[in-house]
Amino acid sequence: MDTLGLLASILYQFGTNAAFLLLAAIGLVVILGMMNIINLAHGELMMMGAYIATIVTHRGIPFPLAVLLAFLLVAMFGAALERVIIRRFYGHELGALVVTWGISLIMGQGTLLFFGPFMPSIGIPGGSFSLGAYSFATYWIVLIGVSAILIAALWWIYQNTRFGLMARATMQKAAMAEALGVNTDRVYMLTFALGSGLAGACGALLAPTVSISPLMGQQFVAPAFITVVVGGAANVLLGAIGSSLLLSAVKTPVGLLFGAFIGTVALLLTALIIIRLMPNGVSFYLQRFTERRVGA
Amino acid sequence: MKMQPAISTVNLTKRFGGVIATDGVDLSVSSGEIRCIIGPNGAGKSTLFALLCGIHAPDGGEILLGGRDVTRLPAFRRVRLGLGLTFQTNRAYHNLTIAQNLEIARRRNSARVDSDALRRYQHAIGLFELDQLTDLPARALPHHQLQWLEIAMVLAGGPDVILLDEPTAGMSPEETMQTASVLRTLNGMGLTIVVVEHDIAFVREIAHRVTVLHEGRIFAEGSVAEITAHEDVRNIYLGRA
Amino acid sequence: MRLLHLVNGGEDLGRSRWFWIGFAAVILALVALPLYQTEFEASNASYYLLNIPLALGLSMLWGYCGILSFGQVAYFGIAGYAYGVIAGNLTETSWGPLVGSVGGLLLCAAVGAIFGYFVFFGRVQGWIVPILTLVFTLLLETFLGQTAGYQWRIGAVQLGGYNGMTGIPPFQIGNFIFQGYAFYFFALSLTVAVYFISRILMNAHFGKIMIAIREDVLRTETLGYDVRFYQLGVFVLAAMLAGLSGLLYVQWGNYITPSQVGLLPAALPVIWVAVGGRNRLLAVAIATYLLNWINYTLSEAGNQYAPVIMGALLLLVMLFFPRGIIVAIAELRWPWRRDVTPVSVQDRSA
Repeated sequence: MDTLGLLASILYQFGTNAAFLLLAAIGLVVILGMMNIINLAHGELMMMGAYIATIVTHRGIPFPLAVLLAFLLVAMFGAALERVIIRRFYGHELGALVVTWGISLIMGQGTLLFFGPFMPSIGIPGGSFSLGAYSFATYWIVLIGVSAILIAALWWIYQNTRFGLMARATMQKAAMAEALGVNTDRVYMLTFALGSGLAGACGALLAPTVSISPLMGQQFVAPAFITVVVGGAANVLLGAIGSSLLLSAVKTPVGLLFGAFIGTVALLLTALIIIRLMPNGVSFYLQRFTERRVGA
Repeated sequence: MKMQPAISTVNLTKRFGGVIATDGVDLSVSSGEIRCIIGPNGAGKSTLFALLCGIHAPDGGEILLGGRDVTRLPAFRRVRLGLGLTFQTNRAYHNLTIAQNLEIARRRNSARVDSDALRRYQHAIGLFELDQLTDLPARALPHHQLQWLEIAMVLAGGPDVILLDEPTAGMSPEETMQTASVLRTLNGMGLTIVVVEHDIAFVREIAHRVTVLHEGRIFAEGSVAEITAHEDVRNIYLGRA
Repeated sequence: MRLLHLVNGGEDLGRSRWFWIGFAAVILALVALPLYQTEFEASNASYYLLNIPLALGLSMLWGYCGILSFGQVAYFGIAGYAYGVIAGNLTETSWGPLVGSVGGLLLCAAVGAIFGYFVFFGRVQGWIVPILTLVFTLLLETFLGQTAGYQWRIGAVQLGGYNGMTGIPPFQIGNFIFQGYAFYFFALSLTVAVYFISRILMNAHFGKIMIAIREDVLRTETLGYDVRFYQLGVFVLAAMLAGLSGLLYVQWGNYITPSQVGLLPAALPVIWVAVGGRNRLLAVAIATYLLNWINYTLSEAGNQYAPVIMGALLLLVMLFFPRGIIVAIAELRWPWRRDVTPVSVQDRSA
């Protein structure tokens, strides 16, 4: 009986870690993959989503609605950011990095001034259940499902909607898409808004599991960016899945044996080894593998 | 006595996903030759070029430079062994002066520049009319002279073989002919030249031999006259094969 | 003579006779500072100066070679902590601080070389380096933050967790201890020396290769240069310069905390370098001094807005002065300037 519980517990840890990495990275991944822009304000957008969800939940709004609200508001904020600032840095990879860092600084420190250093967080919705000697939080099981649904939804959007088609065209050859009548400006803005909104929603989803503070964005920075680095830019969705699973497979045992910090260090070391062995990230190889199977 | 080829490949193969871009290419360019590699779009010219440079690693086969196996060497090592490269798009340092461009190109390989190579370099600088302009930023040059600057930079490293990817792209007919004449002169001074090109007029002007690529394979090889008379070659260019 | 020629090359601001007269005047004013300022004010000036080596390293890395690092403060911290541990354990001898300094710099070089090996020899895309350097810094902060317990005692020195390491010995050669005005002169001379060495290096062939790599990695490699090797070289150099700043910092304040390698301190060097003008060393040095002074003055006055103001400054510079404010000022057409052409023809694209 307890072997089953242990197995379930390990699987649960693995799923939790993978879901956390995926949720922390997904907004970043959308923006990087489509626009080749690293959004260093990503952590602060997640913080913003967490704040929105926390504030409105304290006012009695149901949590799922709060997550939706966080998505919408942060997406709007992202669209405004893109209009005013980000669009001037297309094609300037490093410039975009620096300017989004400036934004992150202003957002983090500004929130600190405005809301103070601390905000009471919301409790984890749903209870927990146990299997043998091991207990499991229902909410995390839900989050694992939600991250799978999110990825599937993004995949569906890119494959089946008009926006997805235009976005893929823009991603591959912006000038050509423009010549064919795609409003690439609009695609970029919507993409940035989508990425920001996802960051906001994921921040909201993770809000009950972390403590809410102005600088909370920082705790997402390391896992999110390592996930993106390991995933690579060849096919970001595929990369995000592959890398969050791979990293979770590293982090889960190391974290269980040596604690959370060493687990995170192991993530960085994995990233360093991965870029040395496959500089284009996991996604490049995953894509080649799928292409070969299709080609053969 | 049989001369060793200046650059050659044995059964060179490269795949991208399911597509074979270079399929068992055996190329052999003799020392002192001007070889042109032609082919319709998608024939695999760019991939072959990238393989010879060391930008891509082949999936199979060998690349020999002066008889030495360089298949696994990174680009900079091949350059140090006497290979010179220019690219389809101009890659001179546009924000540096002409003198600085040439200086950067010269310094790394100054040890291997012998008197022949030095003579070729100085000759090229004169023929390309770059000797008077040294303090000008490169971006101030007209397009054709930027292309020439890049060839001059490559010569500054004293290569035995130069590999040029569409060196006359964007040039007027007169500028193209002038480029051809300089390349012929340099070849007369002992330089082996490989040109990837699709401007047939230019190829006619300089090639000793022509290699035709089609669908990643060597389709035909011969003198300019043989190739232009070749019925099948004309067909693939017209898309009938 | 050749060195003089290199000092006056085109890769930094100012080449005219009047420039050098002005430069000499500023140095003179800095040297004479004890004549008109108190020891406390001189100590503050030391703090503004000691950040300059780190900034110059980042300038060479980012501005000249095109490699952006968000993690220079990691090396600042590594050198500071290493010095604290080594010098703190060698208090019996007078050469402890010297050994600590050398040890700190070597550790920075070693860590920078290992990190750089993975990054540059993997030939990663440009955006990965800043991300990984940032992650490295954050992990270092987390690590240092959890070193509170007694098991984190190295010899006689306590790492101290979030409270940091205290009682770090000042610098000392023989029996002479560098404190007060003496430390000010020590920091000033090191800073000026680092500036001149950097300026010579960037005007020399090495600097040209840096610029060539920034402009076009593939072209530089196909001229026969092992680009990875040069990238690694400048990365290690910048790490050591950041380490030098870290050494000076702990010798100045005698303490260091993990928050020195946090996200906010990590952002500051990027701001100094961007505000000055990333590919002009002198502009970076001036901006570093001035911004440190402004930051100190603001937070001294109890102004909590200092980090927000710094962030806003970075935003404004990136939007309106992408080549840097100091550079923009220097390249204005001053009435007394006779040459009509801009100071230098290099890199007006950046």
